[in-house]
Amino acid sequence: MSSSRDADRISSVQQTLDILHEMSQLLNTQLDKETLTTCVRMIESGVNPEALAAVIQELRRENGRLVLQQDANAR
Amino acid sequence: MAQALEALVTALVPASRDGHALRSDLVAHCEDILNSHIGGHNEPDLGHLSDLIKRQLLQSSPTGAASLKFTNLLSRLLDQPVLLRKQASIHFLQSLAGSPSQPGVGFLPVLGPPPPPRTSPSPSPVEPPVSRLPKGKSRADILRDYRLKNGRPHLPENLLLRDTLYLLQGISGKYVRFSAQDDSETENKLLFVEDSKHVISSPTKALILRLAEVGHLYTRVEAFVREREEASGVGMIEQSLCHHLQAQLTEYYRLIAILESQMSASSNGTRDGSLEGRSLREEETGLTLRRLDVWITEWRLRMRMMSVCVEGARGAQGGALVNLIHSYTDNGDPFVRKFTDQLLEEVSKPFFATLHKWLFSGELYDPFSEFFVAMDPTLAHMQSLHPSSLAGGIAPPSGDGGFGGFADVDDISVEREGGLKLWEAKYQFQEDMLPMFVGEAFGNKIFSTGKSLNFIRYSCHDSDWVVTREKMSNTGGTLKYSDIAGLERSIDTAYQIASQRLFEVFIDKFKLLDHLRALKNYLLLGYGDFADQLMEALNGSLTRPANALYRHNLTATLETAIRSSNAQNDPPDVLRRLDARMLEYSHGEIGWDVFILEYKVEPPIDTVLDPDSMVKYLKLFKHLWQMKRIEGTLSVGWMRIVGGARTFLRVPELEPQWHQIRIVMAEMIHFIRQMQAYCQLEVIECSWKVLLDFLNKKEGDMDAMIEAHRSYLDRMVKKVLLLSPKSGKQESVLNLVTEVFSTILMFREATDNFYNYCLSESARRDGQLDAERGVYTGTEPAHDPDTLPRLIQQVKDYSGVFSERAQTIVHQLQAHPDLDCRFLGIRLSFSDFYRRKT
Repeated sequence: MSSSRDADRISSVQQTLDILHEMSQLLNTQLDKETLTTCVRMIESGVNPEALAAVIQELRRENGRLVLQQDANAR
Repeated sequence: MAQALEALVTALVPASRDGHALRSDLVAHCEDILNSHIGGHNEPDLGHLSDLIKRQLLQSSPTGAASLKFTNLLSRLLDQPVLLRKQASIHFLQSLAGSPSQPGVGFLPVLGPPPPPRTSPSPSPVEPPVSRLPKGKSRADILRDYRLKNGRPHLPENLLLRDTLYLLQGISGKYVRFSAQDDSETENKLLFVEDSKHVISSPTKALILRLAEVGHLYTRVEAFVREREEASGVGMIEQSLCHHLQAQLTEYYRLIAILESQMSASSNGTRDGSLEGRSLREEETGLTLRRLDVWITEWRLRMRMMSVCVEGARGAQGGALVNLIHSYTDNGDPFVRKFTDQLLEEVSKPFFATLHKWLFSGELYDPFSEFFVAMDPTLAHMQSLHPSSLAGGIAPPSGDGGFGGFADVDDISVEREGGLKLWEAKYQFQEDMLPMFVGEAFGNKIFSTGKSLNFIRYSCHDSDWVVTREKMSNTGGTLKYSDIAGLERSIDTAYQIASQRLFEVFIDKFKLLDHLRALKNYLLLGYGDFADQLMEALNGSLTRPANALYRHNLTATLETAIRSSNAQNDPPDVLRRLDARMLEYSHGEIGWDVFILEYKVEPPIDTVLDPDSMVKYLKLFKHLWQMKRIEGTLSVGWMRIVGGARTFLRVPELEPQWHQIRIVMAEMIHFIRQMQAYCQLEVIECSWKVLLDFLNKKEGDMDAMIEAHRSYLDRMVKKVLLLSPKSGKQESVLNLVTEVFSTILMFREATDNFYNYCLSESARRDGQLDAERGVYTGTEPAHDPDTLPRLIQQVKDYSGVFSERAQTIVHQLQAHPDLDCRFLGIRLSFSDFYRRKT
């Protein structure tokens, strides 16, 4: 009984995540499924969505900078 | 939390997987961001959010498929029970998607470059657009190359663009310019400067011509604004029109500036970019003639409207100008309607300011005479003149110094003209200046309201009330064009309040009713006892020639009559105004002809009781007074012939004559009594009742009051004087009646003579009898045998004339168009006494 309820729950979580992922693709956010899951979990735990978006962008920019640096170093 | 962040960092920055320091740095940084206030304040609701997203999606893929899909997904997500903060998640996605700014939009958001016609389903705005693969030459390119080879290529568009931008500002460019004609009357023409190296294709020419129209209109509007700025004495409405136009032009300048910077940006790009890059950029961001055309389209309409207004403004002024603009609001095109509404709102501001002042304080502030109420400048000074004259008139209630002496008659008459003239002519209604959205009925109401307030303020010296009213009305909001219903409401209230107040002032403060009543009682002989007393007291002096009369005697007699009758109970303010006067007399006239009673009025009462009405009152008084006189004479005569003749006139052979005289005199008494009853009961009292009803109702404005009084008076004049509406015969009955009056007087004289004769005759007979008895009583008076037949003949003549005229009068009255007069005819000949003898 309880196992079937758990199974239900898991499947619905899965579905929700699928939908969100699809939306994210539609909106072209370029988040992979894992990152999206992490983000959704954070939001559910009360993080401000706009701040989180800022974080993601910040990290992306940081990454770009790092990659450029590496390229320069490699050269 | 930190764990999750770390996971994020490692997922997004692969380099941090190795460097621990970098990772912890980033995590700390991210925590900083999360703890900051970004986005902390607002949380848009779901509907708004999804709208935003859909709009975004529509922008990137105009087919709408993506947004449809999103709607689908959203509804499915909402069905899911798991997440608590779905909205926040969506917000997160949205802010992540919306954050990368789309390239090329710049400051012209609406006309961004069309989405690149690529086939990939999810265009990525983050990445710079992938440069297009070089293709084979298009036909246009081939054509251009061909032209280049021929040596006459098309003029490059960016050069033309620059010129066109100049044209939009009314400046001639290098390749395209306005024909040099300074006078604005002739149509400005556009000239294309063709040089040998380049050609301008005709479609481009057409396009430029279209664009140049805006420039042409712009020069016209701008010239108008400039001209008005310099000119002096420009009306306020025109000023505000200019202001509005200027604001519009500023807007226009802004647009041009933006376009210009856009153009220069694109031309910079062309300079350092490769050919391919240039064409691409131009396609994406640059300004072309066609884009310019799209940008300008709205302005073309606006400019057209503005130039039309400008054209109209040359001929019209003030309210007429507002009318002109208002006539454009009835337009099916919502854009035009909106524009004109806006314009009208702006332009009508000074009008409404004036209206407000006029409607609530009765002041006309209109330095450029644009309002639909115009002041007569010659009467403007009356405002300052009035208080002094009024103060002089009212201040000394004890003496009649204010009225005394004929020296200031001229002065008085000048002032007397004041009231009504002031009311009627100080302000004039100008129909062509009345804005159409107000409507004529309301215009009249506004006019009357302001006039009433002004009148209350300056002629009735009740400015305190007006000021308080004004203050009260200020709280009720302002008048403006967009709120016509409110405007009408406030006009209605203001009108009612002002009229009500005017009535109150007139009836309570200035005792209009008392004055009217006094006029009726004294001048129309409503006080019978007073009239009798006056008649008796004056009888002796009035039979004397007019030049033997003195005014002070008359006034003293008047005083006596007042004291000895009920009139003494009237308020002193009323009695003070009553005065006896003589008209201008000519030789041979006696006191009866020139004596009149007068009632003095002063501003502001003279607005209602204007000099014209006073003249009518005098006319009525004269007629009624004469009637009274005849009545008095007849009653004295009747006493004599009935009492005296029976007791001591013993001339038996003359008895039949006396009998005849009594019959005729009874007929005359009947005539005059009926006449009087008709005047007093059927005419004066009935009219009075109508007037009283009106005054008690307290409806309508000053004009209505004046009108009511005037009709009251006219009705009385018409009926008392038995005037007939037929032209040329208006006074025929009246003339007959006056003739009858004089016949009665002559008859009375003849009977007096006859009476005297009989008296002396009976005395002679007494003497004879005495002599027969041997008593000598005196010398025998000379006896003239001719006298008796002559006297009898006179009496007979007059009685014949009287019955003849009375009969004519009755017959004329029976055919009189006025019903009341016809009824008088019936009264006079109630027993068919005056039936036409055949």
